[in-house]
Amino acid sequence: MALFEARGIHKRFGQQVVLEHVDLSFEAGRLSGIMGPNGAGKTTCFNVLTGRHRPDRGRVTLDGEDITGLSPDAIARRGIARSFQVMSLFDENTALDNLIVALPEVRARGFDMFRRLSADDAAADRASAVLARVGLAGLERRRAGDLAYGERRALEIGIALASRPRLLFLDEPTSGLGSESTARLAELVQDLKRDHSVVVIEHDMQFLFALADTISVIHWGQVIANGTPDALRENAWVRRSALGGAA
Amino acid sequence: MTKRVSSAGRWLPREMAVLLVALATLPLWIEPVGLYQYLGVEIAIWMIYGLGFNLLLGYSGLPSFGHGAFFGIGAYAFGLFQLWAFESLWLGILCAVFAAFVAGAVVACFLSHRRGIYFALMTIAFGQVFWFIAIKWHAVTGGEDGLLNIPRPALDVGLASAGLESNTALYCFVLAVLAAVLVLLWRLVHSPFGKVLQAIRQNEARARFVGYNVWMFKWTVFSLSAAIAGLAGSLFSMAQQSAYPDVISLHASGIIVMMTLIGGGFVSFWGPVIGVTVYFLARDVLGTLTETWLLWFGLMFVVAVLFKPEGIAGAWQEHVGAASGRSRARRALAGLLSTGRD
Amino acid sequence: MTHVLPHLLNGLSLGLLFALIALGFMLIVGVMELINLAHGSLFALGAYFAMVIVAPDVAWLGAAGEAWLALPLSVRYVLAILVAPLLVAVVGMGLELCMRRTYGRKAEYGLLLTFGAALVIEETIRLVWGPSERYLQVPQAISGAFLFAGLVYSKYKLFAALFAMAAIALVWLLLERTPYGAIIKAGAHDSEMVRALGINLTRLRLLVFGLGAGLAGFAGIVLTPIWGLRPHVGIDAVIPAFLIIVLGGVGSFWGAVIGGILVGLAVGVTGAYAAEWSLLSMYLLLIAVVTVRARGLLGKKSALEA
Repeated sequence: MALFEARGIHKRFGQQVVLEHVDLSFEAGRLSGIMGPNGAGKTTCFNVLTGRHRPDRGRVTLDGEDITGLSPDAIARRGIARSFQVMSLFDENTALDNLIVALPEVRARGFDMFRRLSADDAAADRASAVLARVGLAGLERRRAGDLAYGERRALEIGIALASRPRLLFLDEPTSGLGSESTARLAELVQDLKRDHSVVVIEHDMQFLFALADTISVIHWGQVIANGTPDALRENAWVRRSALGGAA
Repeated sequence: MTKRVSSAGRWLPREMAVLLVALATLPLWIEPVGLYQYLGVEIAIWMIYGLGFNLLLGYSGLPSFGHGAFFGIGAYAFGLFQLWAFESLWLGILCAVFAAFVAGAVVACFLSHRRGIYFALMTIAFGQVFWFIAIKWHAVTGGEDGLLNIPRPALDVGLASAGLESNTALYCFVLAVLAAVLVLLWRLVHSPFGKVLQAIRQNEARARFVGYNVWMFKWTVFSLSAAIAGLAGSLFSMAQQSAYPDVISLHASGIIVMMTLIGGGFVSFWGPVIGVTVYFLARDVLGTLTETWLLWFGLMFVVAVLFKPEGIAGAWQEHVGAASGRSRARRALAGLLSTGRD
Repeated sequence: MTHVLPHLLNGLSLGLLFALIALGFMLIVGVMELINLAHGSLFALGAYFAMVIVAPDVAWLGAAGEAWLALPLSVRYVLAILVAPLLVAVVGMGLELCMRRTYGRKAEYGLLLTFGAALVIEETIRLVWGPSERYLQVPQAISGAFLFAGLVYSKYKLFAALFAMAAIALVWLLLERTPYGAIIKAGAHDSEMVRALGINLTRLRLLVFGLGAGLAGFAGIVLTPIWGLRPHVGIDAVIPAFLIIVLGGVGSFWGAVIGGILVGLAVGVTGAYAAEWSLLSMYLLLIAVVTVRARGLLGKKSALEA
């Protein structure tokens, strides 16, 4: 069985059906991609899978356990972490503190009101290691709000990574980045792939086709195609959108 | 590799030592400078109240406009215990803290899933409910007059016992409580719990997606803050030897918000300490000059919100940052004010 | 039933007055997503302005004052009820100009600023008109009592309810039958959309704040003969106002009206049986409703929401 499965997901907002019978499954150790045009329901799909919205119908399972309709924090504690397309950091904190708060061992003692967090060198070291991994070594003491855009993008991923997830969702990680930063990010994602199961939403098809093991195409709230990048290059929609050639 | 040594780590950081020394010597100099001992009692009590309140406003970003309720509940609970049960300092305080905690915990159930303005609205509504009960439930609360003739029980520590009838003795006791609250809250804001609260203030959604049960954290901090307000309230009813509904009114609840904000609660642990001092000095110094000192204080508050929402502590931090250490004394003061949030 | 009817009527008229108080508050919270804690002070200010217009201090004005006082009370009163709200609207617009510094910052700052403004206005009133109870004269024609179905009613309360209904109808006309109303309603849901429509948001906010303040002042004039006039009378107005808004749903006109009437009925009917506790009923009503329906009776999704 796949690590993560969604079966028959429906979601509507008012009169508008946003997701219609969406089936997705993500394998452990793979990098799965989700693509589709703007407004196709990709981000809503992420939001349903990670607990922001409850699906109207359907079932979501992580490693066989039903997590449908759980709150985002409960889902996060079960080992699913996500980054956000619209940057969502703790802006007044230092880069390091952004990650420390996300560490599972810190989360486990979140109600500890007495012991000093800054005395926890093990946590700080672990957060530093994550920071180095996303390419922000040396910026530990910088306020997140003062980082450059590309650095903030990296920190956004770092927060998700710090929780040592079983499954890592990245929502449009290249959003707003130039070609050079995108290339660096591709390297990072390539590197994460070695020891993480990753799901990436992307509109940058080139980025996705180069990295993903499998790709699902979402259009009009439905999964219209599924397969390896090579198989998808032959897909009618991908070809018609004239972007497949770029991949 | 990331070994960090800062005052945040100490049990008794330098600035706290300075403050406590200044307050401990207060009985020696307060009358020579033309003020009076009781003012010290008031300031110390409201510092406890403000520090607890700032856990909500400054650290968690939860603007409670009804916090007077818990201060009042503490005051009434202490008074009722002395009048109805028996005279006991510790049990009275315990009873006050517990009552305020329970009230806070119940109220928090209704508002922990809210934030911002909606949160403020609900706190006002609950504050008014308690105010109304205090005014109308004559049999228990004494109505508009409140509870009168609340005794100041003696301080009993095992074998020794000391009376608290004089304001100087009471001041020493209140100061000891303040010191304990300072030390514990200083620990709390630097603990994982404190850091999570600050994370929630900055980005509630992200905190949730990182795996924190935000509702539980808000509930806990609200109840805790209410309990501290109750503690301050119990000391207040001892100081005033009475408990009355005024302290629960929207007006009084707003004043604690003003004090905390003017002092700089948004940017510094010491904000409420500064704000409370400024408020009471303004009351007594401006108050002797003009009947309408509250008008001037209100104007000052409006100006602070408009131009310097970081308050006095924030202004200092900036000022000293700009002067970039022209003098050692200034640098020391800057350190003193900025370390609250490291 | 015959015992309950007078209390219901009483509650209904009280409810209309509550709705009147909440109207201006509703407009501001709906369009600007701002809790105007100065609402009560503006309410009081309206009444004080009206008091000055109806019976100015002759010593200051000399002959002109004498001549003005020689006019019949009803003329002075009508003028007061027209002019005083305008003056309050000007004060409200001044407040909005200050408020601009808080836009784009945390929503709490707006709340804190209005709290400070409330304090300043109240203290200014105390400074200018003194702390003691004052009176607003009302023309003979609408004071006194009348008999109906064997019971005595206050004539003024009837007229106050009529005033309230008139104001409610006018605001309804403004919202439903004028282009401004369409804009205000759009703003009530979504400031982005207002901007997209190419509307001058800056001016819209100024006007809405002025209108909200003016309505607060008008409510103050109408309520003062019933509640009396003290510098801190505003607190009696601002609390029901926001209770009603939360109860009815933020940004909803009918929510405010229905919320006001419900609160009035609750207070009126409990007042008949447990007078001491009548005002508590409105808080309990609020907590009960909001616990079940977080957005209030008719509330729509708002940016203010958690």
